[in-house]
Amino acid sequence: MRLKLGHAACVAVLLAATAALAQSKPVAGEVAEGSLKGKTLTFVSYGGIYQDGQVAALKDFVDKSGVKLLNDGPTEIAKLQAQVESGNVTWDVVDTDDLPPYVYCGKLFQKLDLTKLDVSKIPEGQVGECSVPAMNYGVVLMYNKEKYGDNPPKSWADFFDTKKFPGVRGIDGSGSPTGGLLEQAFKVAGGDPKAMTVADIDKAIDVVRKLGPDTIFWKTGAESQQLAESGEADMLMMWTGRAMTAVKNGAKYAPAWQDWLVVMDQMTIPVGVKDTDASYALLNAYLGKHAQETLAEKTSYTPINNDAQPKVDASVAAYLTNTPERQKQGYKQNFKFWVPNFAVAQEKWSALMAGN
Amino acid sequence: MSASEPTIPAAERRWAWRPYALALPALVLLLAVIGYPLLTIVARSLSEPEWGLQNYIWFFSVPINLTVLQRTFVISTWVTLVCVVSAYPYAYLMTAVGPRVRLVLLLCVLIPFWVSGVVRTLSWVILLQDSGVINSVLRSLGLGGVRLIRTQTGVVIGMAQVLLPFMILPLYSVMKGIDLRLMRAAQSLGARPFRAFFTIYLPLSLPGVYAGAIIVFILALGFYITPALLGGPRSTMLSTLVQTQVLSLLQWGRGGAMGVVLLVTTFVLLALAAPVMRSKYREAGRH
Repeated sequence: MRLKLGHAACVAVLLAATAALAQSKPVAGEVAEGSLKGKTLTFVSYGGIYQDGQVAALKDFVDKSGVKLLNDGPTEIAKLQAQVESGNVTWDVVDTDDLPPYVYCGKLFQKLDLTKLDVSKIPEGQVGECSVPAMNYGVVLMYNKEKYGDNPPKSWADFFDTKKFPGVRGIDGSGSPTGGLLEQAFKVAGGDPKAMTVADIDKAIDVVRKLGPDTIFWKTGAESQQLAESGEADMLMMWTGRAMTAVKNGAKYAPAWQDWLVVMDQMTIPVGVKDTDASYALLNAYLGKHAQETLAEKTSYTPINNDAQPKVDASVAAYLTNTPERQKQGYKQNFKFWVPNFAVAQEKWSALMAGN
Repeated sequence: MSASEPTIPAAERRWAWRPYALALPALVLLLAVIGYPLLTIVARSLSEPEWGLQNYIWFFSVPINLTVLQRTFVISTWVTLVCVVSAYPYAYLMTAVGPRVRLVLLLCVLIPFWVSGVVRTLSWVILLQDSGVINSVLRSLGLGGVRLIRTQTGVVIGMAQVLLPFMILPLYSVMKGIDLRLMRAAQSLGARPFRAFFTIYLPLSLPGVYAGAIIVFILALGFYITPALLGGPRSTMLSTLVQTQVLSLLQWGRGGAMGVVLLVTTFVLLALAAPVMRSKYREAGRH
C-alpha cells in the first residue's frame, strides 16, 4: 500500500512537472503571481534618467512577482570581471554596451537559453548568443543649421570632408571606438567596410585624425549636449537621446539621418548569478510590450518590442528610430569584424584619444 | 655625537610605545586601504596574463605611453609652479591682515573645497570655451578670441584652481610662524625690503613651499576629470590611459604596470629633489 502510494506520488509529481513545463513557455512581459517572493535581484545599468526609466518599466514585474529589486551602477565590465573571478556575483541582470556581451560571451555572460525568454517581438537580428537588446537608439550626425544654411551636410562623407564643410567636429571620445563610425571613415578612405581587415583600422582612424587638432572628443553625453547648446561645435556625432534634448533646449541643430549608426544597449545575465531563473524572469518581463512602452515614454529611447506603441510627444517621436523610414536609413556595424578585433581597435582608438 | 645626546629616563622609556599605539588606527587603515591594494597592483602587473615583465615591456615599447607619461609630469610641474606663484602672495596676505579679513580669505580658500571637483571643472568649461565668457568679453573688446579650452593652458588653469588650497594652507601655516620682527631688524640694519625678503623671509617660508609643492605635484599626477573635460587629446594624462586599459580592455596587468611606473618615477624625482630641499631647510634653520 505504501509502495503504491509512493508510485502515485511519483506520477503526480511527474504530471505536475509536465504541466508546469507546458505552462512555462514564456510570454514577454508576463511573470507568475508571487513567483519570486522573498527573492532579491540586483539590476545594473547606467543610472540617470535611463535607469529610472528601466526601473519604471519593471514596476509591474516587481509588483506581481513579489521580488525585491535593487539597483546598482554604473555598469563596468572590470567590476563584473572581479565579481566573476572571485566567485561572488552580486549583479543579477546587467545592461551593457553593444560589444561586451559578444566579446565576453560565455566568459562573463551566460549563453542565453531562449526557451526561457520570449524573443518573438524583438526587432530582427538583435538577439545575441549572450544578450537581448535593452533598447534601440542611434548615433546621428547633427549639424549647426545656421552655419551650413542651404547647403547642409548629408552624410558621414560630408562629416569627414573639412574642405567642403569647414568647421569644428565633435566626436564620441567617451572611451570605446564606435565601429560604425570607423566603417564610415574607412568608406571615405575608399575602402569597403564589409571587407575590412585589421590593417584597415589604421586607415579608418587616419581619416578621423585628419579632421585636425580642432576636433573635440567629448567625454560624456552631457558634454555633447553642451557642445550643441553652446554652439561650440559645428558638426557633432551624437546619441539620439542627447540630440533630442539639445534641440528641445534650443540648440539650432538638425540631424542628417542618412546612415545613422544603429546602436543598442544589451541586457545580460552574468556567469555565476545565484538564481539564474529569477534573472531570466526579469529579462522576460523587461521585453514585454507595456514595459517597453513605459521605457520609451520615460527615456525617449526606442522600444525593442515591435508591438510597443509609446505615447510620446512630437519632439521625442522625431528621434525614435523604429519607423520604417529610419530603419531603411540606419547603418549596422559589422559585428563579426569588431568582436574579435575589439582590443586592437580600442588600443588604436585610445592612442588617437591620447593625442597620437 | 651620541655621547652628547641626553639620556632618556627609564620611566619615559617605558612609555615610549605610546605614540605608536595612538597611531595604530591610522597605521592599520593605511595598510588596509593603501598598502594591500598597492601590493595587489604590483602583483597583478607582474602576473597577468602570466608571470613576467611583459606589461612593463609593453609599456615602454608603445611610444604613446611614454609621450603621455612625460606629458603628465610636464603638466603637473606647470600646475605646481602656477600654484606656488599665485598662492605665495595670498598666504602672505593672510598673515598680514586682521583676524576678520583673514577669516574671509580663509573661507575663499575653503569654499571651493566643499564644491565637487566635477562642478568646478564644468564651470571652467563655461568660462574657457570658444563661445564662453572669457572669449565673449575679449571679442566684445575687439581683442579677438584666445584658444583656451582643449589646450594644455586650459588644463593647467583648471587644475591649478582645484589644487590651490593644498598650496595655500601649508604655506600659511609656515608663514604665520615667521617672526616679522626679523624683517624689521634686517631693514633697520640697512637691508632694502627686497633684500630682506630674499635673505630672510623667503628662506624661512621655504618649508611651506616645499610641503605645498609636493602635495600639489603628487595630486596633480593622478588627475583625471579635469584634463578629460578641459583638455583635448594632446593633454590626456596617464590616468586616462590606465582607465582605458582596466575598464575597457580588462587589462589589469597593464593598468597596474602603468600605475607602478608612475609611482616609481615620482619617487625617483622626489629623491632627486630631496637633497636640494634638505640643504635649503638647513639654510633656513641657520638664519
